[in-house]
Amino acid sequence: MSLRRDGRLGAAWIVILIVLPFAAAIIALGIGRMSIAPGEVFDVLRAAISGKHASSELIEKTVMQLRLPRIILACLVGAGLSVSGCAFQSLFANPLATPDTLGVASGAAFGAALGILLGFNLIGIQLMGLAMGGFAVALTWLAGSGKDRGGLSYIVLSGIMIGSLFSALISFVKFAADAESQLPAITYWLMGGLDKANYRTLALGAPVIIAGIILFMLIRWRMNLLPLSDDEAKASGVNIRLLRGITVVAATAVTASCVSMCGQVGWVGLLIPHMCRMLFGNNHLSIIPASVSLGAVFMIIVDTMARSISAAEIPVSILTAMIGAPFFIVLMRRSGGWRI
Amino acid sequence: MSLLRIENGGFAYKNGPQILKDINIDIEPGEILAVLGPNGAGKTTLLRCMMDMLHWQSGRSLLDGEDVRSIPASKLWRRMAYVPQARSAAVSYTAFQTVLLGRSSRIGAFSAPSDEDMKIAERVMERLGISYLADKPCYAISGGELQMVLIARAMAAEPEILVLDEPESNLDFKNQLIVLDAMTALAAEGVACIFNTHYPAHALQRAGKSLMLSKDGRSIFGDTTGVVTEDNIRHAFGVEALIGEVETPQNIMKNVVAVGISGEAGEADTPDIETTAPDETMLASITVIMRSNERADLINKAFREYNHLLIGRMGLPHRRSEKYIISVMLEGPAADIEALSHRLSLIPDISVKTTYE
Repeated sequence: MSLRRDGRLGAAWIVILIVLPFAAAIIALGIGRMSIAPGEVFDVLRAAISGKHASSELIEKTVMQLRLPRIILACLVGAGLSVSGCAFQSLFANPLATPDTLGVASGAAFGAALGILLGFNLIGIQLMGLAMGGFAVALTWLAGSGKDRGGLSYIVLSGIMIGSLFSALISFVKFAADAESQLPAITYWLMGGLDKANYRTLALGAPVIIAGIILFMLIRWRMNLLPLSDDEAKASGVNIRLLRGITVVAATAVTASCVSMCGQVGWVGLLIPHMCRMLFGNNHLSIIPASVSLGAVFMIIVDTMARSISAAEIPVSILTAMIGAPFFIVLMRRSGGWRI
Repeated sequence: MSLLRIENGGFAYKNGPQILKDINIDIEPGEILAVLGPNGAGKTTLLRCMMDMLHWQSGRSLLDGEDVRSIPASKLWRRMAYVPQARSAAVSYTAFQTVLLGRSSRIGAFSAPSDEDMKIAERVMERLGISYLADKPCYAISGGELQMVLIARAMAAEPEILVLDEPESNLDFKNQLIVLDAMTALAAEGVACIFNTHYPAHALQRAGKSLMLSKDGRSIFGDTTGVVTEDNIRHAFGVEALIGEVETPQNIMKNVVAVGISGEAGEADTPDIETTAPDETMLASITVIMRSNERADLINKAFREYNHLLIGRMGLPHRRSEKYIISVMLEGPAADIEALSHRLSLIPDISVKTTYE
């Protein structure tokens, strides 16, 4: 149960990382106001795959129409946010660089809120999120990366500033929104939640996230060059500008898609990549697939808690923040001793 | 045609003075070139321009006669490799994974290292004697060890030219020797090495050719014995230095001792940087003891190049210990004899001494 010498995952880890999200999903499908045993969940799924109907229509409807899309969304958002968090950390050679700290998430949220204000459909909202997320990361990059890429705090500080700028813009959008209909929609959406999940929204948001994940999986060995200093990276003989460009576009697109589907779910992009780096080291051969798998598992667990702890649903971002904030503080306190 | 050549290189930073002007160097396979100069004279800038990380404002670098700027990066970096200063290197991976990164230019965008790549990385680490570091993370090893890992990473690209930026800076005595010995051994196997250094003594002990930069932009390039002289050091560094020799049972090593500050570097009344070449004809003999047959080619090559000096030669194999003694008699200008003697002293694993008339 260990890593190979070149940083690849061993067979045991590969099996675990593949099985874990499926196991979590099947258990989560049974949890909720109506408890369903994993065996019954299996039956429903098997029936659905072979095109037949399950014995109980109520159970079938609960599993297939209510819980399954939501769990698929949780999977995608968890995997997407943590893999893009991992990419941002390496890109900026900074353990604290994540979609949240770089202002990407705020930018995307502003874009999406603006989209709601202007009455766009989901594609429009997503594109606005993407554009503003990209704009935010570009601003952060311009403000915070100078000659000295070694300074850990610059990027994060400028990310916080850009993030608060976009938070202010979000407030402005809320201020401008119609208090009867738009304002509650924006506010509730911003809190983050996966309860709006259905197959139609999935069909719009999922392709970008899946494409991003596949891309990162394909170039994951080459991503090892990202944290290198400029001269080292150039001397690798690889077109490092192209690699950085692809990484930043893909990570921003994935983040924006996640944000436009379920609001600003914070901390996942920080928490999960770090857990993976603690487990597997910094080699992208292992931490990219691990981030995808564990990100999905984490999100399924947190979302299941969000919808089943109390009678009223808790916005998922509240839970991730309650887990993430203390974790961030612990990381920050020991970040002197580790690098990317 | 030389392997690598800089023609009339010149460079100035934006709104800054011309720090490099009219740089001319050339280097052949297996040679070591030392770049010397005071802080701020542009040593690192020179290397970066040479490798096209910065662009020359005038002049050009040629690799096998081809302008480096016109060579695609993926091709260039299979032939040339760069060893950054250890303190500016990324250290997130294990030593083995770091060395594997040296294979980047030979691995496709969507691929991971093959078994072949891994074997090459293992071999390079073994050759440099750092296999024991393989699974340690680079942030947990010493500065000297990290420098060796970075050299291994560069060598994993199987380059013909190795460019090292102050490889022995910030290292203790022993680690300096380890790094310099590694470089010398690589050169003996045919890799051309170019290194920046703060130590004139290291140029004298390791490099056949040297480039000395001074702050006023002037530079001098040539055989190390002609470049690293007391006069040139005074001019370039503003330091009164004495060059002496230390005799060991095996060799005679040159050393440089700084004895005092001679006023500002590059002052007008200091004589121009120049090569001094005493041209008296004299007799000398050089005795070489080879501890194995490995370096025979290098020694023979050196003698062939200075064939015009040779008036007698004797080779004595000592069969029982498989050692070999060569003794040659020479007649010619003292500078030439000294150049040959210096050239031989750079070859690793042999004992060599010169006796003058």
